[in-house]
Formats: sequence, structure tokens, C-alpha cells
Amino acid sequence: MLISRSKQRFLTLLTYAVLIGFSVYCLFPFLWMLATSIKPDAEIRTVNPTFWISAPTWKHFENVLHGSAFLTFFKNSVFISAVTTGASLIISIFAGYALSRFVRFRGVKLFGIAMLLSQMIPGVLLLIPLYLVMKNLSLINTYSSLILAYTTFTVPLCTFMMKGFFDSVPFEMEESAEIDGCSRVGIIFRILMPVSLPSLVATSLFAFLNAWNEFMFGFVFINDEEHRTLTPGISLFKGLYQTDWGSMMAASVMSVLPVVIIFVFLQKFLVEGMTAGAVKG
Amino acid sequence: MKPIELERPAKRAGKWRAVAMTLREKRTKRLAYLFVLPALLFFVLLNAYPLVTVLLDSFQFKNLMNKALSGFAGLTNYKEVVQNEYFRTALKNTAVWTILSVAGEYALGLLSALALNQQIKGRTLFRAIIIIPWVVPIVIAGMTWTWMLTPDYGIINLWLVKLGLLKEPYYWLGELNTALLTVVFVNVWRSFPFYTISLLAGLQSVSRDIVEAAAIDGAGVRRRFWYIVLPQLKTVSLTIVFIHIIWTAINFDFIWVMTEGGPLYSSETLPIMIYRYAMQDYNFGNASALASMMLGFMISGFILYYFFSVRKNRR
Repeated sequence: MLISRSKQRFLTLLTYAVLIGFSVYCLFPFLWMLATSIKPDAEIRTVNPTFWISAPTWKHFENVLHGSAFLTFFKNSVFISAVTTGASLIISIFAGYALSRFVRFRGVKLFGIAMLLSQMIPGVLLLIPLYLVMKNLSLINTYSSLILAYTTFTVPLCTFMMKGFFDSVPFEMEESAEIDGCSRVGIIFRILMPVSLPSLVATSLFAFLNAWNEFMFGFVFINDEEHRTLTPGISLFKGLYQTDWGSMMAASVMSVLPVVIIFVFLQKFLVEGMTAGAVKG
Repeated sequence: MKPIELERPAKRAGKWRAVAMTLREKRTKRLAYLFVLPALLFFVLLNAYPLVTVLLDSFQFKNLMNKALSGFAGLTNYKEVVQNEYFRTALKNTAVWTILSVAGEYALGLLSALALNQQIKGRTLFRAIIIIPWVVPIVIAGMTWTWMLTPDYGIINLWLVKLGLLKEPYYWLGELNTALLTVVFVNVWRSFPFYTISLLAGLQSVSRDIVEAAAIDGAGVRRRFWYIVLPQLKTVSLTIVFIHIIWTAINFDFIWVMTEGGPLYSSETLPIMIYRYAMQDYNFGNASALASMMLGFMISGFILYYFFSVRKNRR
């Protein structure tokens, strides 16, 4: 319509070529990680590596699961991420509701600006004082230190996401509930929550992902194996196993697994969420 | 007389309503503040307060290894940081790291967004695949690429040698002149999907009518891209580039996981330097001074950005 037929065909072909190129670029590292994790050492250490695995093995997975603290790290990560998710969700539901419905109060407006700014304050700059705060509260090497830090950094994003969802719920629904004698908290939990359930799931998965992927605070606040989370744990495997790349990749595969599962669920909301905090906020 | 008499009851009712409203409004207000209180507490205690501490500590002697030295330091910390022999290297590295990363990410993001904006089959699948690098932990991404880049049995080296592009495997992350660039490359790989998504949203809001009108007026594909599509992406581009300049400049994880700032400080950036000051030398004064300087850079960036967007809005 806008361009000639042959040009259109050329353009389509070009588009496919570009997209396939990008797909290979994006996926190759993961495929290679997966392949490496189930190869026996002899096939890893070869000058002719292929995706064809003649003797697939679970040895590396067994090695990581039984021969290292991986399971502890994994459990710690799950626990910390889950608590962080719960905490930031509850906090941001109320904060997001206030930002959506009560912006007419100056204090709430100021709070919105504070949230916006706090999203821009980078963690590295707060590393030192947060470390000292945790130290003074003797929270170093505890789950609480990470939960507190992660919650602080996820709340603003979640708040803006929740605000966005609440904005799209018509006010009339609340009014009729109020006339029927429903309290504010009741309105939030009985009227708004069920309506925005999918968005709620998206927000919580986001919070979970953030906590799961975080590295720096986990690296600095936790010094003992017992409380260490997955990301610093894996980075320390590097020194531990030196060149045992099979085990390294097996550990990587297992830590990416929850992310992949979340990704499949989140796909639909991901685009919205990615832009909610950063661009819109 | 009559109009006044008519007005009076109405006024009274209005007054009554106003009183009732304020009572109700007051209760609502209290509720609103109660709702934001938990989030505000987190913000004040773990964001605002630490930030103020950084600024204050930067003017104090604070060294956990040498507790005897304490008290007001004036600008000594700043002086020490600036005079550190690796400060200039770190500053330069931060600039290189940030500029190259953001430029690379933008180029790839724009290309992929343009491709995804075409009407073709399997768009959703391609979009999903392209987002994947962005959701994976940085540590895992760094680790996997480190494995692919190792000189012994790393697949990239083996392929490059086989293709004849390299004579022998090259230690990409271990050589002075390639370490930082290699981490930049991996960072681009992980971060460009964010640009893709944002730019795709921007592209989809470009009005088809205008594009069609231009086509009727005889503008070719290239012309339409440069003069119609690209200008409409300006706002989105400005925002994501600005955000990413900050996000990249302050990124600690990638460089730490892949090179720890080495070899010989050749990939050390300011965040890595802050970490070293604080967690290896326990010199919290110096670390705070460096953090405050970075904060200063950031704030100036904000002001610049603000002026840019305000000037644009005025036009």
C-alpha cells in the first residue's frame, strides 16, 4: 500500500532476518548454558564443541546439589524474595491507593514526589550508610537486613504500578460500595483487589524478580554461608570451582528456572510493568 | 430584598455542607496519611536518612580500621579521593562504560523495535525472546558470558579462531585493553531489551495517517523514517537514554561479577571504587565523599534533563 510489492517483500524478509538474528543473539547464551550443564567434562573440554551431546549426564547437577551449599542459597533466596514480595505488596497497595484517590491532599502529593525521587537514588550510593545502619542494629548476616533493603527499593515501583491499576478502576464502583456501608479498607480488599487481581499478580512477580535478581546488597550484608542468597552464592562459586564450568552452568540453570517460570506468566504484563516505574513514574 | 432572602437558605445549606465536608474530608485525610505512612517510613529511614548520612560522613573522618582518627575533616576526604592515583582511570572508565553501553543499547533497541513494529507473523514470540536477557539475574548473565569468553574452551574464542579472525584464543576479560569493552558488550546484550520495549511503545503511537500522507506526497521509506518516525520518538528516547545513563553509570554488579574492576584497575568504575573504599579499606569517609560526588554528578544531570524537557515543552 505504502510501498511497492517487491519492496514490501524485501522488507518482510529483512525484518525476519533481523528478528532471527536478534533471537539467536538473545537465546544463544542460555542454550549454551543448558548444553554445558548436561555435558560430561570430556565434552566440555574440547576444541570442537557442539550442541550434540553424546553422553548427557546429571553429574554437574548432582555435584551442585549435594556437594555445595546451593540448596541453602536457593532456600534463602526463595524465603527473602517471598517475604519482600508480601511486604512491598501490602505497603504499596495502600500507598498506591492513596496516590490514586487522595492526590488532592498536599501531603500525599509530596509523598508521590518522594517516591519518584527515591526511585532515582541508586543503591550503590546508599551502600555505606545502609551497611552501617544494619551493623548498628546488628542485622548483618540476617534475613531481615536484606528484606528491609529490598522492600525499600521495590516499594516505589510497586506503588506506581498499583496506582496505575487503581486509576483504571471507575470511582463509581467504590461509591456504591461506600453507600452500602463498606469501609475504605473493605473497599480496597473487597472491591478493588478482585477487580485488579491480574495486575496484583504482575506486581508481586515483579517484586519477586527484583529481589531474586539483586546482587550487591546480598553480597555486602551477608557473610556467612547459612544466610547467603543465590546471586552472591553463585558468584562465589566462581572462585570455588575455578574451571568446573559444568557445575557453574548447572547452578545457573537452576537459578534461572524460577525466573523463566515467572517470565512465562508475566509475559503479558511485562511490557506494562517495565515502563510503569521508569518511564511513566 | 427578595434576592437576598432567596439566597440566605441556600447559603446556610452550603455552609452546612462545607462543615460536613470538612469533617468527612478530615477523616479521609487522616486515612490517606495512614495509608502512605508505611511506605513513607521506609523512605525516610532507609532512603532519605542514609542519603543525608552520606553527605554528612563525607566531611568526617570515618575509618573502621583506624578509629582514633575521627571528627570533622573538612574537604580532606574529597581531596584524598581526587588525588587517588586510580581516580582518573575510574572516572574515564565510567564515562567510556556509560557512553558506549548506552549508545550500543540504543542502536540495538531501535533496530529491534523497528523490526518488531512490522506486520509479520510470530511477532509476540520474537518479542518474548528478545525480552529474555533482561529478566535474568546479572550474575547469571555475567557468568554465562564469562564461560563463553574463556580462553580455554570458550566457544566464542574457538569459533573466532576457526573463522580465521583470531590466530589464537584471546583472554577477553583478562587483557588491559579489552576487559572493559567486553563487559560493555555483555551489558549491551542484557540491557537493550528495555529500549526495545520502550521504543516499540513509542513507534506504535506514531500516527499511521501522517505516515500515509507523507507516502502520498512521495516520501520514500528512508525519508519517512528520518523525518516522521524518528522525531516522534524524541521524547521516549530522551527519557530512556537519560534513565540509562544513570543506571549504567551506577551499575556495580556487572563489572564486579565479570572482572572485579581488573585487570590492574583497567575496568574499575566509580561504583567499584566506592565498594573498595568501604568494604576493603573500611574508609567510610572517603567512600562517602566519592558517593557524594557521584550524587552531585547525578543531580547536575537531572537539572540538565529538566531544562531540556522544559525547553522542549515550551516550544
